[in-house]
Amino acid sequence: MSAPALSLVFHVDINTYYVSCERILDPSLRDQPVVILSNNDGCIIALDSRAKRLGFSMGDPWHRVADAAAARGVAVRSSNYELYGNISQRVMSVLKEFAADFEQYSIDEAFLTIPATPEKAKKLARKIKDDLARRVGVPVCVGVARTKTLAKLANKTAKKIPVLRGVCVWDLLPPQRRESLFATLPASEVWGVGGRSTRKLAALGIVSIGDLARADLTLIRKRFSVVLMRTVLELRGVPALPLEEQRAFKDQLIFSRSFSTPISDETQMRQVLSLYAQKASARLVKAGQVAGIVAAFCSTSLFSEGTQSHPSVQVKLPQATADPVALTRAGHQLLTRADFGVAQYVRAGFLLSGLEQDGAAQVLEPFELAHEKRQVSTLLASIQEKCGQGTIGLGYAGLAEQPAWNMKRQMLSLRGTTHWKELVQVKL
Amino acid sequence: MKATLRARLVPSTTVTYPFPETRIPAGFPSPAEDYAATEIDLNSELIRDEAATYILRVTGNSMIDAGISDGDEIIVDRSLTPTPGNVVVAAVDGEFTVKRFSIDQQGQGWLLPENPAYPPLPIESGADFTIFGVVTRCLHHVH
Repeated sequence: MSAPALSLVFHVDINTYYVSCERILDPSLRDQPVVILSNNDGCIIALDSRAKRLGFSMGDPWHRVADAAAARGVAVRSSNYELYGNISQRVMSVLKEFAADFEQYSIDEAFLTIPATPEKAKKLARKIKDDLARRVGVPVCVGVARTKTLAKLANKTAKKIPVLRGVCVWDLLPPQRRESLFATLPASEVWGVGGRSTRKLAALGIVSIGDLARADLTLIRKRFSVVLMRTVLELRGVPALPLEEQRAFKDQLIFSRSFSTPISDETQMRQVLSLYAQKASARLVKAGQVAGIVAAFCSTSLFSEGTQSHPSVQVKLPQATADPVALTRAGHQLLTRADFGVAQYVRAGFLLSGLEQDGAAQVLEPFELAHEKRQVSTLLASIQEKCGQGTIGLGYAGLAEQPAWNMKRQMLSLRGTTHWKELVQVKL
Repeated sequence: MKATLRARLVPSTTVTYPFPETRIPAGFPSPAEDYAATEIDLNSELIRDEAATYILRVTGNSMIDAGISDGDEIIVDRSLTPTPGNVVVAAVDGEFTVKRFSIDQQGQGWLLPENPAYPPLPIESGADFTIFGVVTRCLHHVH
């Protein structure tokens, strides 16, 4: 009785991503509760189940819980984005070996589409999980189903039910198990169903996932959107999510950071904006994109007693570009709107929108920027890639010394997979 | 004339460095040009499975007879299944160590140093012990 092969979607994601990355090269963390702090060590942004059981949660301000963490033997690390990024690349490159049809959905999750029978898919999912544990050293869960939405749900199920040991093939779950999951889980557990729709759905008597799967398609499309109607179809096992829809949120690029010390003068803010513009430009170049609209903003702390100020500026560029000179110039228009000398700014950033693939639009010769012709941005990006961020930059961003407002990361583990000088030491 | 033509043939995606233009001498092109294709790439020579390879730096002298010295970098491949005789990075009681992995005739596992001044370490059953990966190369500092 060989079942026919189906086109099955595998959803793979890394368990407690940041913590798992930290554990690879630090065996002392293996059986310890671990929390990871946000930029500037402000609050907890990731933690493992042991730390959760001790009463810590995402978002706890670090200065309030630091003593309790020390008293309970909780290990603390600043966010080591270089390490996490490198581990993500390793995971994605292993996943690509398994399927040509591969879509990285976020830094720690991906979808693969593979033709297989459910039984074969189960073996393959197990092999994916084992390969990532053995080779890269991270634990993952794998959910397999006929649609992306169900594969996501299968993954959640794999995480919740220990006997599944991290792998759940939706079609192999006993029918009564699937029914009870549908009946007991709230609709908000479904991928893409937000808080607002949840309340609106509840008013219509649609509370559980099962309710949503059985909902009338026309009603859903009329009262909500075609997107939610597709979700309903997906819950019924009908693939309905086209790629563009899922990537829609990628239509903007945000680069923003908070500073370790507040900024209140124009020169320093000019520096920050130059640097951030170039970081944003580097990301655009990497994605092969150009931006048509540049927004720059800075803000004071919401919790501060002093002057509140949240200026922003939006500039429509004459021609979509990734050119750091153009982005910097646009960003500097923010400087005239800020209250320097009065307000203490703690955060600044860029929001780039109107993104399109580089080369999609024809440039009229007279409007082409002179430095763009010489490909300044590509050159900068390639030097930064080769020699490291901060080795070269335009204007103030080219300063070799780290300015005072740079990020505070006091409990940073070694950047052992990306920095030669920070290789992890082993005692012989 | 030739020089301008060349410049225009370069695809627009390549990085052009702002060097002053140099004149190309007339005459036959060098026959060596046809062979200037690639360079030796140490990453591809020394690393078998990139996703599974980690580089660590060692301190201490217990592995001196295996050619691993204080300050050397070692290439560790997690995709290889450790077999007796391999030099491995092991995690013992929450700490990494580098030793030769061995199993004696009684089935007892050992972590053996490669320096007579250090004692062999038995792998106790129930101990906090895992093998992180197999050491495939040692980058020894000679100069």
